[in-house]
Amino acid sequence: MTDELPVDESPVAALQFADSFLPAGSFTTSYGVEQFVAADEVEDAADLQALVETYLDRQIGPCDMVVVAAAHAAASDGDHDEVRRIDRRCSAVQLPAEFRESSTRTGGQLLSLVADTEADQFLAAYDEAVGAGDAPGNYAAVLGAVAARTGMTARQAALVQGYSFVTDLVGAAQRVLRIGHTDVQRIVTESRPAIVAAWEANVDRTVEELSPFAPLIDVLSAEHERAERRLFLS
Amino acid sequence: MAAESPQDAFETYAAERLPPAADGAVGKEGRLDAAFAAVDGETRLVQDYATVPFHLTGGLDHDEALPDLSTVYLQSPTGAVAQGDRHDLSVTVGEGARAHVTTGNATKVHGMDRNYGRVDVSLQVAADGYLEYLPEPTILHADARYRGETTLSVAEGASAVVGEVVVPGRLARDEAFEFERAYTRLRARDPDGLLFEDTTDLHPAERDPRRPGVMGDHDVLGTLYVVGEAAADPLHERVVDATTARAGATALPNDAGVMVRALGERAAVSGALDAAWDEARRMLVGAPAPERRKD
Repeated sequence: MTDELPVDESPVAALQFADSFLPAGSFTTSYGVEQFVAADEVEDAADLQALVETYLDRQIGPCDMVVVAAAHAAASDGDHDEVRRIDRRCSAVQLPAEFRESSTRTGGQLLSLVADTEADQFLAAYDEAVGAGDAPGNYAAVLGAVAARTGMTARQAALVQGYSFVTDLVGAAQRVLRIGHTDVQRIVTESRPAIVAAWEANVDRTVEELSPFAPLIDVLSAEHERAERRLFLS
Repeated sequence: MAAESPQDAFETYAAERLPPAADGAVGKEGRLDAAFAAVDGETRLVQDYATVPFHLTGGLDHDEALPDLSTVYLQSPTGAVAQGDRHDLSVTVGEGARAHVTTGNATKVHGMDRNYGRVDVSLQVAADGYLEYLPEPTILHADARYRGETTLSVAEGASAVVGEVVVPGRLARDEAFEFERAYTRLRARDPDGLLFEDTTDLHPAERDPRRPGVMGDHDVLGTLYVVGEAAADPLHERVVDATTARAGATALPNDAGVMVRALGERAAVSGALDAAWDEARRMLVGAPAPERRKD
């Protein structure tokens, strides 16, 4: 038995952490799409597709996926300090307040979940650090750490992040926009190359060079913070 | 194949040698150091070192609502950044001092066929100091390559209002987003470390800036960072009511303060930022903003 390689479970772990069945509370997140719909800036599936592509290109790729990969590397090395530093950098570049709130709320939920279920000292210690206020617990940093500790590659983890983002956003859009299941699945399908492209374009970027840039999303998020009626936290 | 990162792109530009300078050409490496100190209940400009193309007006005390504040105009006869230029500005506000620094006119970043233009700005505010750094807009002409790097350091009890307006071309002649690349970054820190970081990353030939969520159908982007004890809601209400710009305010990370973003036509964006400046000043130092003396 000792000569056998451990079974590679990581593709299954990738499915688990990309599944909307995962109780991380991401259903509270609309990435501002609720406000885009309220402001008539997103009216149909084509507008939604364009917005998804902007996010992948300007936010998820150059920021979230880079954080995922950096946290993955640090957690693979068992480097607690570095994971916390990456996590804090992630907060420092996320300027819309409700995006930070969503990110740390869902990240915190995922982390306390895996602290119970993964029997992994590193993740348990990270969860304690977030509980003690030593790290914010952003979703991308947490996912990178979880991915490393469950045998996923950085690439797999970044694609999980991209896929989860797309399904969160279009899932939210489905609740505020008149749009059918086929259109939703078409957007997810057409986002597949964009998710991969977002990773490929930023694979060499370091966590010192995070550069999300989507000023109109920032403004709409500020409007959403103060919207009288809203279903979503962001 | 990974797309070229902005950092790599500017390294590539930097390797492009400049054509020989014309006789008498000076000012490629402009430098300016200004330091303010609180002396006898007022703020004085105690250090003023400038090399071509920069010139600094002496401290002007015309701010009636805030008599202990010193106002300084950073002047540049060319008002421009050309290829190969490396400008380095430093503003230091001493303990308890209050200063307002602005420029006399917009900074035009010229078209370039070699190398690039870079402006570094270092802003430091000591304990209980207050700095307003509100330069006129940066105009990115066709084929411009621009790299801006601003750092803001605030000590305990210090506050700052820092503004930036980016105009994507000579709009009156229908030139918009014809520059090659613009990458600007502002990093703010306090004694505990990084507070927040904001990046403007535009490369119009590769990525359409007028996409939904980026600039939409707007041209001009303005941002005001209010660092200190500031509340987002009043700033948001002010900028929404002020002009036709699409604008909003949000709380910055690490309880650093508030960011205001505005998109729209140049006058509307400037109007929104002026309104936010006035509101921020009332919050931070309890005084309204003065009428501008240069319009």
